[in-house]
Amino acid sequence: MSSNEMQQLAHLMRRAGFGATRRELEQYAAIGYEASVEKLIDTTNPTAISEYLIRRYHPDESSLLGGLSGADAWLYRMVTTDTPLLEKMALFWHGIFATGYPKVLNAKPLSDQIRMFKRYAMGDLKTLLVQMAKDPAMIIWLDNQQNHKGAINENFGRELLELFSMGTGNYTEDDVKECARAFTGWTIGNCEYMEVRSARDSDWPYGRISWHYEFDDTDHDDGEKEFLGQKGNFNGEDIIDIICEQEATARFISRHMYHFFVADEPPVPQWPYQAPRDPEAIDQLVKVYFDSKYDIREMMRFLFNSNFFKSEKCWYEKIKSPAELVTGVMRLTEAVNMPRYDTFSKQLRMQYMGQTLSNPPSVEGWDGGTAWIDTGALVERMNFAAEELGNVTTPGSQDLLERVLAENSTEVTPERVIDICLDHVGALSIHKDTRSKLIEYANENGGVKVNGNELSESAQQIISGIVKLIASTPEFQKA
Amino acid sequence: MVTKEEFNSQSLHYVRTVGMTTMRGRGFYFPVDSAMSKNGRIYVLSRSIERVAPDSLRITMLNEEGEYFGVFGRAGENDGEFRWPCGIALDDKDRVYVTDEHLHRVSIFSSEGEFINKWGTFGTENGLLNAPSGITVAPDGNLLISDSQNHRVQKFTQNGEFIYSIGAEGDGEGEFNLPWGIATNSSSEIYVADWGNDRIQKFSPDGKFIEQYGSTGRGDGQFVRPSGITINSDGYMYVADWGNERIQILNPHGEFIQKLRGEATDSEWAKDFLNVNVEEAEARSRANMEPEFDFFNDDPHEESSHIEKLFWGPVSLLLDKEERLFITETNRHRIQVYKRN
Repeated sequence: MSSNEMQQLAHLMRRAGFGATRRELEQYAAIGYEASVEKLIDTTNPTAISEYLIRRYHPDESSLLGGLSGADAWLYRMVTTDTPLLEKMALFWHGIFATGYPKVLNAKPLSDQIRMFKRYAMGDLKTLLVQMAKDPAMIIWLDNQQNHKGAINENFGRELLELFSMGTGNYTEDDVKECARAFTGWTIGNCEYMEVRSARDSDWPYGRISWHYEFDDTDHDDGEKEFLGQKGNFNGEDIIDIICEQEATARFISRHMYHFFVADEPPVPQWPYQAPRDPEAIDQLVKVYFDSKYDIREMMRFLFNSNFFKSEKCWYEKIKSPAELVTGVMRLTEAVNMPRYDTFSKQLRMQYMGQTLSNPPSVEGWDGGTAWIDTGALVERMNFAAEELGNVTTPGSQDLLERVLAENSTEVTPERVIDICLDHVGALSIHKDTRSKLIEYANENGGVKVNGNELSESAQQIISGIVKLIASTPEFQKA
Repeated sequence: MVTKEEFNSQSLHYVRTVGMTTMRGRGFYFPVDSAMSKNGRIYVLSRSIERVAPDSLRITMLNEEGEYFGVFGRAGENDGEFRWPCGIALDDKDRVYVTDEHLHRVSIFSSEGEFINKWGTFGTENGLLNAPSGITVAPDGNLLISDSQNHRVQKFTQNGEFIYSIGAEGDGEGEFNLPWGIATNSSSEIYVADWGNDRIQKFSPDGKFIEQYGSTGRGDGQFVRPSGITINSDGYMYVADWGNERIQILNPHGEFIQKLRGEATDSEWAKDFLNVNVEEAEARSRANMEPEFDFFNDDPHEESSHIEKLFWGPVSLLLDKEERLFITETNRHRIQVYKRN
């Protein structure tokens, strides 16, 4: 496989996963690009660190009593999964159907929601939207338990149209009201008690109780409705049927996919006023959406094989989200094979970088793009990546040192060491000026000398220093 | 074949629930093990979680009626502090021994909670520890500890001097995969909850493999990640079948007698809470606390998360002199008490 083909695979892994080690890249390279895409989109049998193991060592990941509990378990799964695209899809839908702890005040339904995303993430959009509308955390997040027959609460109906499917400008205020009417009676079981507990943030007397969806037919308005020009005694599922038929929905979801997997678009509120970065790509995705009957997996297959995705123009064009950065770095260390006491501190680092999973800043999720970078966040990102990757005791670093030793030379040239280090962090290509600076650093520190079958302490420190500097480059911080 | 008489004499019935969730003081926060002194004082070890107040990690002292005697211990790495406490046991002088899976050590306290000593060093050689979990005091007064991430059981004197080691990593006879709960019977034979191998293993007092019980599954006599075990005076095994969210009783030959899924009611402390939090109590009284679903997909963990009375995280078992069984539940922060018929 040529260097360029390897770079293209590395690009695929940064977007469809969290980057890849050199060993993983070689495994994908052995089967080629298209087969790699097929492997990535096959999310039917994911394996990751055992749930039982996580629960044994972190009991809060079992009962999900605390606010950030589920996020730790999610980090474990992202770091150890063999099906990274499924975790990326969960992040993708979490960013769109953004639901957060401050109002839900029960981490179990939030964690259940992420689990639901994974179950339906790669199926058809209609099923996903129905499940999302029945999701207990979403019901409480957008007040649908207060959406009653004869006294509607528009919150969920409005966001379903504005943020979850079509975008503003594609429906009327009357459509919002009719939509809300169709979702009356979609509530959670034991609603009164669960609301009281959430309002008081109560975990008494015996910890949190999970929530479940309940349809209250006595509170459902089954009268005739007129929605997007169609008339009928619509219920919520009928409404979602109609939504999925709309070209606006196809365009909205396609643009989200482009934004998350290909290149940064402006924040969603600007979409009605600003054309997509690549209108032709959106047109192509829209066609696949309708041809496949709204099938997400088909859209992903098309996207990853498309010229607009593979184009070098969009390599390193996306800024990694904190979740992507932290996960990618931890995967490179290959140090997580058992639950560890310090996992929560990694989760905290993600928060310091500006992203707390299951706690988005608003119902609109995270803006992403350059919004991830401010002076504080950038320093945190660079420090975290440098600390983790510069630790020469991790299995990932030991593998890197072995690769340097495998050169079978008493002194490995700085150029070669830097190539090996760039390869090690996922076949990274960097600007030539940055490369010159790295060579300068290696030379100033005396080069990498080998004593017999061992790297000297100073050689290990130089390699560690090079990796730390690489972790701080714009290319590494981007995807 | 288990006879009706055997079932009638050995099966358990529910008595009461003890404790409730609190982050400090009277109550528990992610309890992982319990032990009892000669005078009936119960010591409940709350592991807590990494991100909250250090004093939420503690040992709560109480009796079965809910009389509260105070707490000791906290999060940290100094003497008398813990990171990942896991097992608790009392010796014949009622000194309290607590294992710590993160600090790889055993801490010793007086019955009133004063720190006495600590020992234990991380490593793989005999006498060193890697994530010590379950602990019990053998009839000879020495300590048996599940050295979980070394996949073995080690025996120590009360001062931490190494006596012997049983097993190594594996799934063969006498081998272990992350062992957890440990107990002895009146003949000093040793029973280990071989967590990752979904079985109970029995050893002679000097550590020779005798027999194993159970296999992976949700059927009667099968286990999913068993975490705790205790043996009654007739040699019957009570097993905390943690991954199946249940307790199982097996006869001395390993034959299934009974399974328990939990019947918790409001403890005295829970009643106190609900009496002064009227809005919550009234809403609770109107709620259907046992909703029926069809979406659990044979997942007892999920079922227990929805139905409060069921065991959720039944992790360890304590048998008192009157053969009452105290079942510590991590996720529900309480103890359910059962008694033989």
